[in-house]
Amino acid sequence: MSADGSARPIESGAGPTPPPDPWRARVRNGVVALVLGALTAWSVRGTGFDLGELFSNLKQAQRLIDDSLPPAWGFLPRLWDPFLETLQIAYVSAVVGGLIALPLAVLSARPIAPLRAVYLVSRNAMNLLRTMPDLFWAMLFASAVGFGPFAGTLALSVFTVAVVAKLLSESMEAIDLGVLEAVRASGGGWFETVAYGVLPQVLPQYVSYLLYAFELNIRASVVLGLVGAGGVGVVLKSQLAMFDYARVTMIVLAIFVVVLMIETVSEFARRRLVGEIATGRR
Amino acid sequence: MAADPITFERASVVYGNGVRGLDDVSLTLEPGQFVVVVGLSGAGKSTLLRTINGLVPVTGGDVRLGATSVRDARGGDLRQLRARIGMVFQDYRLVKRLSVLQNVLLGRLAAVPTWRTLLGLWPKEDVAIAQQALEQVGIGDRAHVRASQLSGGQQQRVGIARALAQRPSVILADEPVASLDPITSHRVMEDLVRINRELGITVLINLHFLDLAKQYGERIIGLRQGKLVFDGRGETVTDNDFAEIYGRAMTDDDVLTESS
Repeated sequence: MSADGSARPIESGAGPTPPPDPWRARVRNGVVALVLGALTAWSVRGTGFDLGELFSNLKQAQRLIDDSLPPAWGFLPRLWDPFLETLQIAYVSAVVGGLIALPLAVLSARPIAPLRAVYLVSRNAMNLLRTMPDLFWAMLFASAVGFGPFAGTLALSVFTVAVVAKLLSESMEAIDLGVLEAVRASGGGWFETVAYGVLPQVLPQYVSYLLYAFELNIRASVVLGLVGAGGVGVVLKSQLAMFDYARVTMIVLAIFVVVLMIETVSEFARRRLVGEIATGRR
Repeated sequence: MAADPITFERASVVYGNGVRGLDDVSLTLEPGQFVVVVGLSGAGKSTLLRTINGLVPVTGGDVRLGATSVRDARGGDLRQLRARIGMVFQDYRLVKRLSVLQNVLLGRLAAVPTWRTLLGLWPKEDVAIAQQALEQVGIGDRAHVRASQLSGGQQQRVGIARALAQRPSVILADEPVASLDPITSHRVMEDLVRINRELGITVLINLHFLDLAKQYGERIIGLRQGKLVFDGRGETVTDNDFAEIYGRAMTDDDVLTESS
């Protein structure tokens, strides 16, 4: 959504630059091309990447496609309950993660955190959460509470905290700080400064980020289901294991439709929210 | 209304980057005075105001409100001190997404327990005080409108009402009319004069329009490079005095209108 450090001013150069020497540029470009070429060759060898093999195996792919089509429409009703579970996992994770993300974002926003030390600890904790992949959290919680939807929900809650806290703290750093000074000048304490100076200014963004996290959670919970963390991914995994590709196609198709529907609704809602920000100012 | 003089005792402010905001200022503002501070931008006008409510801490000397030292005030004491001092800003500094009344209620923050303010459970008597403050600036009927929907002049009145809701003994106004058109500017200035006369609240205003300063300032204080360079009555101040404060001749940019 937003790139790191995109708000920094561009450093101004030191006066007009002299015209570049054409030969220097050519040599530099040649060296860069050579390095990139060598890197590609090395990686192709390392991964066994072979287009010839891909095409000679196309026959097998043809068999796979034959097995997969048409989708097993009769399997659709049995997907209802796993899908509900996926939605529930995504929703609970968005709510729980979103609630935890709020205070973390406040403490990770530089001009709002009560102490610089608090800001540094909170910010680093937030970044640490973000660097861990969601599969890691799923494994961790599965070993704690056993495989199942609860482990998946815990993993995605952490994932939501990481996503929402990061985006929200960035929004908080961009607010109008003058209002905070006004609250302080009236005799407001730190909590009142946050409640009245900060939260009203970022509320639309906060709701928008929660919707976004819900979207991400649906997709992620399918993947987590593959490792046994509940939802429709579990069904996908079992049908893959039984080589029932017609059912697999049905599942993939259903996931595609559901994700598309939820993204459309969520995107519409988020655009409305952000539109409100645009018109709400002055 | 408590009648407390404001006393600057050799007050100085040096900012972290070495800039001198205020340089050895000694000054007493009597209760109920209407004082205008003039000077070029960067002369220390905003700094002077903010040392009174501790938004900018003095690095030398002291500022007192009555017997209370701003320099020594911390935590709850500082909050109670700030509650006695209302502040009005050039850019209003309202919470735009909240209603007008909710904005004015922020003036009651120090008087109401924090758990109540955080839950929005404002006591009836504080809501009544906020509503009364809105009546005092003539926009009692806009209480439940979103602050962002008001015009600039009305938003500044909300800012003044928020300050009034504190039931302060002092109001500090930092360039309160710099974002307003000439007619609205005079209306807002007249509101501040009325508050000063009728409620006996000491008013300290930063202005950069010299005609406004002369017209409304009972007392005029001039700052140059953080130093107090002028202190006199509004009706006796001359263009020469202003030239002295500014360190240059007057231009058209220094007055709001030619015909006011």
